[in-house]
Amino acid sequence: MSDAQNPSFSQLQVTITSAKLKDVGGGWFASKPDPYVELSVDGQPPRKTEVVKKTLTPTWNEHFTVLVTPYSKLELSVFNHFNLKTDVLMGRLHLDLYPVLRENSGKLTNLELKKDLQLNVKNVQVRAGDLQLVLDGMNVNMEHYQGHFQHMANGTAASAGTPERSRQHVNGEVSRGQGDASTPTSQQNGPSSNMSTPNTRHTEQSGARSRASRPAPSPPSADLSSQASSQAPPLPSRSGAAAAAAAGGAAAASNSPQSSSRQQGKPPSAGQSSQQNPHPAGPPPDASDTSNTTPQNGPTQPGQEPLPPGWETRIDPHGRAYYVDHTTRTTTWERPQPLPPGWERRVDPRGRVYYVDHNTRTTTWQRPTVDTVRNYEQWQQYRTQHQSAAMQQYQQRFLWQTNAVAADDPLGQLPPGWEKREQNGRVYFVNHNTRTTQWEDPRTQGSAVNDEPRSGATAEGSAVNEEPLPEGWEMRYTAEGVRYFVDHNTRTTTFQDPRSGATAKGPKGAYGVPIAYERSFRWKLGQFRYLCQSNALPSHVKISVSRQTVFEDSFHQIMRLQPFDLRRRLYIIFRGEEGLDYGGIAREWFFMLSHEVLNPMYCLFEYASKNNYSLQINPASSVNPDHLMYFRFIGRFIAMALYHGKFIDNGFTLPFYKQMLSKKLTMKDLESVDPEFYNSLQFIKENDIDELDMELYFCADFEVLGKVTTVDLKEDGSNIRVTEENKDEYILLMVNWRFQRGVEEQTKAFLDGFNDVVPLQWLQYFDERELELMLCGMQEFDINDWQRNTIYRHYARNSKQVQWFWQYVKELDNEKRARLLQFVTGTCRLPVGGFAELMGSNGPQRFCIEKVGKETWLPRSHTCFNRLDLPPYKSYEQLVEKLNYAIEETEGFGQE
Amino acid sequence: MAATRRLQKELTQMRQNGIKSFRDIQVDESNMLLWQGLIVPDSPPYNRGAFKIEIVFPAEYPFKPPRITFKTKIYHPNIDEKGQVCLPIISAENWKPATRTDQVINALVALVNDPEPEHPLRGDLAEEYTKDRKKFLKSAEEYTKKHGEKRPADP
Repeated sequence: MSDAQNPSFSQLQVTITSAKLKDVGGGWFASKPDPYVELSVDGQPPRKTEVVKKTLTPTWNEHFTVLVTPYSKLELSVFNHFNLKTDVLMGRLHLDLYPVLRENSGKLTNLELKKDLQLNVKNVQVRAGDLQLVLDGMNVNMEHYQGHFQHMANGTAASAGTPERSRQHVNGEVSRGQGDASTPTSQQNGPSSNMSTPNTRHTEQSGARSRASRPAPSPPSADLSSQASSQAPPLPSRSGAAAAAAAGGAAAASNSPQSSSRQQGKPPSAGQSSQQNPHPAGPPPDASDTSNTTPQNGPTQPGQEPLPPGWETRIDPHGRAYYVDHTTRTTTWERPQPLPPGWERRVDPRGRVYYVDHNTRTTTWQRPTVDTVRNYEQWQQYRTQHQSAAMQQYQQRFLWQTNAVAADDPLGQLPPGWEKREQNGRVYFVNHNTRTTQWEDPRTQGSAVNDEPRSGATAEGSAVNEEPLPEGWEMRYTAEGVRYFVDHNTRTTTFQDPRSGATAKGPKGAYGVPIAYERSFRWKLGQFRYLCQSNALPSHVKISVSRQTVFEDSFHQIMRLQPFDLRRRLYIIFRGEEGLDYGGIAREWFFMLSHEVLNPMYCLFEYASKNNYSLQINPASSVNPDHLMYFRFIGRFIAMALYHGKFIDNGFTLPFYKQMLSKKLTMKDLESVDPEFYNSLQFIKENDIDELDMELYFCADFEVLGKVTTVDLKEDGSNIRVTEENKDEYILLMVNWRFQRGVEEQTKAFLDGFNDVVPLQWLQYFDERELELMLCGMQEFDINDWQRNTIYRHYARNSKQVQWFWQYVKELDNEKRARLLQFVTGTCRLPVGGFAELMGSNGPQRFCIEKVGKETWLPRSHTCFNRLDLPPYKSYEQLVEKLNYAIEETEGFGQE
Repeated sequence: MAATRRLQKELTQMRQNGIKSFRDIQVDESNMLLWQGLIVPDSPPYNRGAFKIEIVFPAEYPFKPPRITFKTKIYHPNIDEKGQVCLPIISAENWKPATRTDQVINALVALVNDPEPEHPLRGDLAEEYTKDRKKFLKSAEEYTKKHGEKRPADP
């Protein structure tokens, strides 16, 4: 009876067997349709069958297990699948579960049904064939579900359903004849006298159900690690590694891999499963007989909800009420509340109680209440809002502006055989050579065709700008649209542009820098994309994750797959929100997952310093015993981002990128990640240490997790004193040690994982700053914001050089601006708040231009102070030339 | 133990030479990274007592500077209620690996004897110090007598 108030969820297996279809919609283009079925329960996101090709009598035989209440409505829609246009509905049927259950006394066992499909043709419902299905595995006691009408009369009719349905329940109520006259009244009294706002309660509950909520293991301020620890342990179905991993990540914070302490810390919880909902107050004896599983409840105070089954109220000698749970033999001061809809209490093999949320298929130790569910939702909402600013910024990142100057396509012509099409406002590209389509623009994604230096230049225009090919050479495009070069002199072909290959000292471009430098990044990117494309594998790889557990889910799937599988087209599914992944979902996945795995909370990565939010490996990561597995996973994931041309949310330190490129780390690299250490080394370098008596030896100390270890920098180093003579060697060894200490194994695991998916050699042409651009993307820079938030030392706002500087910035394209920013601040990324929130090594530090040196000097930068040392150049041209040299050169040149 | 070696040497030298205003240097030989000692100022109002301090050296010493905290409460514009002190010689910007602990101590004693109200940690005391020196001296002396440690006998 009262179960009707909170109809509990049961599993139901729906088998979609086959259909006979009639073409009533007006032609499927002569050929037979490619039908598939969508199954939706109570308006939840649909599940789909596979597509069956070219038939009017498709057979699917696919099983779906869905969660239903006895009042659920199933909607089954047959669609005709099209590759390039929206799928077309061919027929639909609605199935109310309640009458079916009634006919079958609440038991559905291999029940075969054949139902008519309807289609609305010109406002007339037409029969469009029939659909065969089998319902199985549901068994409910229908006596609990007689009183649905009553339930709705109490204020939840709005969320309950259609008029027809309630009519049925009127009948049910009338024909029930259980001779229990008092029940309807007491039922009505129950909720309505419950002054704790029955209306809002029910709204919340239905809201909770439809928004697929999870209990709140933590208050709104809770961090991610506590989330992990409350979720991970009770997952008997997931492999041990998952639980250990998530717990390990949390261990840094709590050091208790099993969050059972959480459970023990709580007062004992109710022993009530969602199958058994509270009985109305004071039922007569025969009423309780109708449900043989309900033990006697204790006395209930008026205006309160009845206790769940197995509970009893007692009064202690001081007259205080307390509650006894006979199921778990525990007591509590707090009055137990029924579980929110969709929840179930279970006991694990070790006798510990945990709770299953069938709405989201998650588990937790903590007993959920309507309040915690709501709190969690609010927290989730807060988090979404908080992240949305960052997400928004992320969405705007790009490598090449594909739609920069929209009017005249700035990228020039498409390769031969390619065509650009548009459907529903979405642009896609058809490759007639291979008869394939893709969303990515072949000019930016797949090849080096896009070699025009600056936006606005058309193909013809750039041809004029570009240096001519050497004698006897010709430029051609492959069927895939990749540019290659034919050397008719030797009758050979190459992807290598003969101009950029040979022109390290070649002709100067517009800025007086060799063309090779100006264009090299685009060229290299083209080569890299070509490598990716030519090593791509057919078909796609599915990665299905839940938003709440995106880290664990992704970890398992990525590590379970063969590395080469990760080169297939990605098909990312966020569970419960099925939709086709045309790239947007993958982009979001990369954003979310990078946000998670690099989150310093998990202790795998840490911020470079308090004010440098770039990430580096945390030497203390071994608090998580599985950390090396995780680094391998993150290596794979980062490689996937590069391979699939997606960006991650937060980037690494430049020295970390250098390690990926196996480039030698220099002392200067230390400056941005550990300025104090850098300054001390600098001091040793610049001063005669024989006079200073610093008592230094070729060894170094390092502290991780409170333990100090000493390392000899070379053999017997602790007995070799550092002198003026050998100090250069000392500095070199010290720099190496500083970067490796405590992170060697982790770095190796990361690089191994990376190499699994993308061979590290593929990156060899890039430098660390280009790698950062590739991985994090660029964003538009607001020059007014930049100028507004710049300060000057020994220059004034109206100094000639300052004005030239801004003129120069305005004339740069986005890549160059990003590189200028990298040169001065150490990263191409801006904080969400823009230039006003730039951080230096000692807190907020705005972009600063200082007058230093003479006009013959090159500009220098101090990344820890976001400062550019700009010598007082004599002319605009001189300033441009020197700045271009400084930002184009990569190996620390121009910085020291 | 790279840091320990250097600290051992500094400690030996300091004990040999003896600093009049820094006494009772206590170091646990098993952990050279933590020193304790007694600051014994010689200017009023702080010459009515002594002040316990703690020096914590990082494992990366001398590449990174030590940190100093007062364990005895003191009424001073440059030392806050938690005993933190802002001493330029050990700030991140000024630190040199060649700086020795006795130099740091001397700088600290100089700061205690002669407050710098221009860079205060406690604005209220700095204001009192500049505007009403007499009142400041009186309060500081009373505070020193009440909270300060016993001054050791002259060596």
